[in-house]
Amino acid sequence: MMDGAVVTPEMLLYLLRTLLIGAGATIWLTAASLVVAVVLGFGLALMRLSDSKVLQGIARVYLEIFRNIPILTQLFVIYFGLSRYGIMLPATVAATLGFGLNGASMLSEVFRSAILSVDRGQREAGLAIGLTSRQAFRLLILPQAARTAIPPIGNYAIGLLKDTSLASAVAVPEIAMRAKMLVAETYLSTEIYMMVAVVYLALSLPLARLTALAERRFSPHRSAA
Amino acid sequence: MSFAKLWSIIHEPLFWAAIASLKIALSALLIGLVLGLAIALARMNPNRHLSRAAVAYIEFLRGIPALILLFLIYFGLAAVGIRFSSLQAAIIGLGLNASAYLAEVYRAGLEAVPKGQTEAARAIGMRRGQVLRWIVLPQALAISLPPIGNVAISLIKDTSVASLIAAPDLMLRANDLSSQTFKPLEIYLVVGAIYFVICFPLSLVVRALEKRGERKT
Repeated sequence: MMDGAVVTPEMLLYLLRTLLIGAGATIWLTAASLVVAVVLGFGLALMRLSDSKVLQGIARVYLEIFRNIPILTQLFVIYFGLSRYGIMLPATVAATLGFGLNGASMLSEVFRSAILSVDRGQREAGLAIGLTSRQAFRLLILPQAARTAIPPIGNYAIGLLKDTSLASAVAVPEIAMRAKMLVAETYLSTEIYMMVAVVYLALSLPLARLTALAERRFSPHRSAA
Repeated sequence: MSFAKLWSIIHEPLFWAAIASLKIALSALLIGLVLGLAIALARMNPNRHLSRAAVAYIEFLRGIPALILLFLIYFGLAAVGIRFSSLQAAIIGLGLNASAYLAEVYRAGLEAVPKGQTEAARAIGMRRGQVLRWIVLPQALAISLPPIGNVAISLIKDTSVASLIAAPDLMLRANDLSSQTFKPLEIYLVVGAIYFVICFPLSLVVRALEKRGERKT
């Protein structure tokens, strides 16, 4: 058995500093992927709610494909698969794209049900006071749907934060990747992975609290009262 | 190399690797189902220490990525002398992970069984254990079936993570084949199709179960 490095306070500080740099990258990757997922997911939701059977069909197929294949496989197709055919995306771009495309399939259902949950009377009332169909959608339905969608978006973001650890497999220098490099350097695998777990908990638990709070505040039953 | 040639090389190893992935998923699911029920019962126990410990267990496991849990079990425990093979570590890690999600699924199911059921069973003279075993659990399980199905589907997809600690699953085999043949795009697309063929029908079954549940209530 190889002897591990001595665990001195300086060593722990070094580990922590390096891991926190990785945590910064994790947060960036999560945020960027979330933006891509929200934009694409909203587009998909509109396609599913449109009158066109073709658009509905395309959105359905997209959804089923991305939801029934592991995200790791999707990342490998984009990063290793495409590079073989000359499309060489930087690891961070490939990961953001992969998580974004995957997340869009999750969030499109969130948006669709949020939009459908808005009372039909809202639209009818808007039309009655002379709004166009588009205006009614933008001014009346969307703001109410957005409130309903916030808690499930929060839940999705927590899952996404944890899933970004898989980006270490395509060499994105986020926290799991930094941890692997530190372990190779110091052999302190127990200490390092425990620290990584603590960092993830420090990020995901507050996010979960916030989501629970939003759930209480924005649930449709409450706001109606 | 034509795709037909590639297919002739990869279809058999990928088939067996898919079976291996399903075995990992099934083993982890069994651990998760048994352990998850114990955690749910502990969580709902009037004893505060027990229920707090269960909450801590659930929050810890749901708060960290499955990958980090696998690293902790495979590399972290090895450093303190507890050694598992990568396959064992994958099954244990994915099982523990699933148990935390399933504990909450069970709890929701148990809480959804009307209190009157317990009271009626107690009134006709059943003991607490009997009430749980014969009256509450069967109803709770029926309610929990669709979300259990969802956990099972996630678990099948999550077995891909096992490849990152070199456990012999579908993704690990795909990595080998792709470095042998230099055809990563074709191979990962085929692998994606294999996962899809397994998970999509299961998703349809779960959705049908969910619809049936909604109609009943």
